[in-house]
Amino acid sequence: MRIVVVDPDSCVACRNCEYACAYRQNGDFARSASHIRVNFYPEERACVPLTCMHCAKAGCLEVCPAAAISRDPETGAVEVDETRCAGCKMCLLACPYGNVHFDKVASVSRKCDLCGGDPMCVRSCTAGALQFVEADEAVDRRREAVDARLRRILHLDKAEK
Amino acid sequence: MAQEREIQQTLCRMCDDRCGIDVHLEDGRIIDILGNKDHLWNRGRLCVKARAAVDMVYHPDRILTPLKRTGGGWQEIALEQALDEIAARLAEIGGRHGPRSIAVWKGEAIGFGQQEDLARRFIHALGSPNYLSNDSMCYASRYLGFTLVDGGWPVPDLENSRCIVLWGANPPFAHPNMTQYITAARRRGATLIVVDPRLSAIARRADIHADLRPGTDGALAWGLVHQIVEMGAYDKDFVARHTVGFPRVLEYARAFTPEAVEKETGVPATTVRAIARAMAGAAPHVAAYVGNGLEHHENGVNNIRAVAMLDGLLGALDREGGTFFRGAPPLRELTLYDDVPLTHLGPLGADRFPVLYDKRRECHTMTAMEAILHDDPYPLRAMIVTGANPAATNPNSTKVLEALESLDLLVVRDLFMSETAAVADYVLPAASFLERTELHAHAKHQIVSLTRKVVSWPGVQGEYDFWHDLAWRLGIGDSFPWDDETALNRWLLEPTGLSLEELAAHPEGVEYGSARPGGWREHGFETPSGKVEFTSEYLKDLGFDELPVYLSPAYVDEPDQEYPFVLITGARKLLYLHSRFRNIPRFLTAIPGPEVEMHPSDAVALGVKDGDEVRVVSRVGSVRIPVKVMSPSEIPPGTLQITHGWKDANVNLITHDDRFDPISGFPLMKSVEVRVEKGTRGPDALGGVA
Repeated sequence: MRIVVVDPDSCVACRNCEYACAYRQNGDFARSASHIRVNFYPEERACVPLTCMHCAKAGCLEVCPAAAISRDPETGAVEVDETRCAGCKMCLLACPYGNVHFDKVASVSRKCDLCGGDPMCVRSCTAGALQFVEADEAVDRRREAVDARLRRILHLDKAEK
Repeated sequence: MAQEREIQQTLCRMCDDRCGIDVHLEDGRIIDILGNKDHLWNRGRLCVKARAAVDMVYHPDRILTPLKRTGGGWQEIALEQALDEIAARLAEIGGRHGPRSIAVWKGEAIGFGQQEDLARRFIHALGSPNYLSNDSMCYASRYLGFTLVDGGWPVPDLENSRCIVLWGANPPFAHPNMTQYITAARRRGATLIVVDPRLSAIARRADIHADLRPGTDGALAWGLVHQIVEMGAYDKDFVARHTVGFPRVLEYARAFTPEAVEKETGVPATTVRAIARAMAGAAPHVAAYVGNGLEHHENGVNNIRAVAMLDGLLGALDREGGTFFRGAPPLRELTLYDDVPLTHLGPLGADRFPVLYDKRRECHTMTAMEAILHDDPYPLRAMIVTGANPAATNPNSTKVLEALESLDLLVVRDLFMSETAAVADYVLPAASFLERTELHAHAKHQIVSLTRKVVSWPGVQGEYDFWHDLAWRLGIGDSFPWDDETALNRWLLEPTGLSLEELAAHPEGVEYGSARPGGWREHGFETPSGKVEFTSEYLKDLGFDELPVYLSPAYVDEPDQEYPFVLITGARKLLYLHSRFRNIPRFLTAIPGPEVEMHPSDAVALGVKDGDEVRVVSRVGSVRIPVKVMSPSEIPPGTLQITHGWKDANVNLITHDDRFDPISGFPLMKSVEVRVEKGTRGPDALGGVA
């Protein structure tokens, strides 16, 4: 199963992903509708993209009393069926990462569904901070990124001396 | 009936990046636009501007019928009738004042390929040397700065670089897909250095961010030259074999100690040393890129030349992982500069800014305003503007509008009723990039593509048809012999050995050459001396200093107590391109309006908070605008930023059209002395709204 992998060290908080997701949900660029969320902390210069990881053991899915959350057999995405959602918000509480949000107008929970297997957040990530890859590939990329960070620190360390 | 769905592949031209796109159509109507996964540049990724091209193409405010100004307002007019009338007026004005009283002005609103050259061809065939464009305010200074030193503007080899240095450039907003190359290099261990007064989007990922005072880039560049020489870290072989002027560089750099640089730029001496070491440690795999941030200053070109020198000094020039030169496809030449030289007619600005005209064949747009208003140096009475909006984007908008309104004839081709179109005599509907077919090249990847006409509107002409039809009415039709844009494209492409059919079959582009570094070292650089010119005889002969000398910006050198803030204008925003797209509602849901970016300590001192309206005043004019209080790290105290292009808070009401870089003629727009006034409701608050 492919997942959306985030690399905060490549993210510039440009918000292309949020706008692309909001557009899919709502037809406009109002960030509140986006399933992916990028927090930017200027003083730390930290960009933190966060989106659903479609956990193998998904708290939101297990806790849902209306059985409105299920896993798509093809994409592996954990999805909300809004026609069944009772709006009880248990899933919001169950997700440890805050990746399920609540649509107050429709009174239903909303979350990432991987756009049916071609996530728009990734297609719009011009910084290359989001990748839609198999878990193994994600691990390789992460290892490379950690190595690169060490190499860069060594290089800069030399530069500071 | 089943709906017919199809995907047509072409290139996006919502900005200059020309990303590969898949245009999704349903019954011939565009329903969505996604990235083309096979395109080498963007690899399937696309910023949200591109997707919103749907909104632009089908916008209810699109101009789809020619309009003529009459005493009673706009009147719809048939295209043929409009062209007849325009041709008659042009002939009459040209007859009375001479052909040079007519000019063309090319902009970015339509997204040009080679069509820029059609405008150049037309005006030359008509006998006027006056081609004007947005390039004389964006791009040309960098082209000149690098070309004067290296003989061309080399392209950074980001993906193979060990150290990337961005000067006044913010790719995530200006060239979105360039960002993925930078972050990929970082994931392989490259260091990123960002030189920018503001914490731009890309600066968020910088390993070293040098937040220097606006316009002091030259001092930092000379400081790095000084350090690299001190460290003995320069490429002695490259300098000896491929450069001229090194002894003068050594002598001039001496004053730029890290401490002196700190005093001038505000960048700590330790940071200056760290940047020099990071660059030296990664040399020759150092890839530098200069953005528009360095252009709008009184010492802009020399600051850029000083930055350009670093590539040669480090041996990073014409080198893999550094920067190297990529040729354009060998298309036929559309311009007539060789066939019809018109230099003797005095192209506007060519006497005062000879380098701009000599190297770019660009006339000077600010000089054009003087010609219109004061017949200085001669009358300019008619102008055809295509896809440009100088009323919003040129400095001193009040004067620009006055000039445009006083023309005998102003014809504007655009998609929308821009500030410039609003004062025209004729407004003609233009075709967007999805409504024309033309040739585009990605020099970086050495590919050439043919864009597709995906949709069309009855009666809306493409660029070629417009110039063709007008030329034939004016007796210069023999310069426009091709029946349509496809015939023109075929003629242009001939020398490449590629066919239109081949290009049509490969929307992801066809390779036209291969770009390898090292050729210029082997065969010589394309400068007069054949070497990298740290000193320029060419400039010396024109009366300039041969070295890229550094001059302090006026606000540093002679601070003006009445105008204590320094204002940067024109920082890019993700969703807007210059004055475009402010009419797309979904963009406004994300970035709703103009703002003046301000450091929190300045906001406290002024007693203003986020969202408060203030008046920003320069010696040129004033503008009313809401305050955006930034985080302390995002903008230095005493520095403000306003992005251009907002109709209701047009920052160019307060930028200078009479303070120039002496080499390129670029106006001062990124270090403008201003003051901020609170309380805008009084009688003195007039004049803020365009």
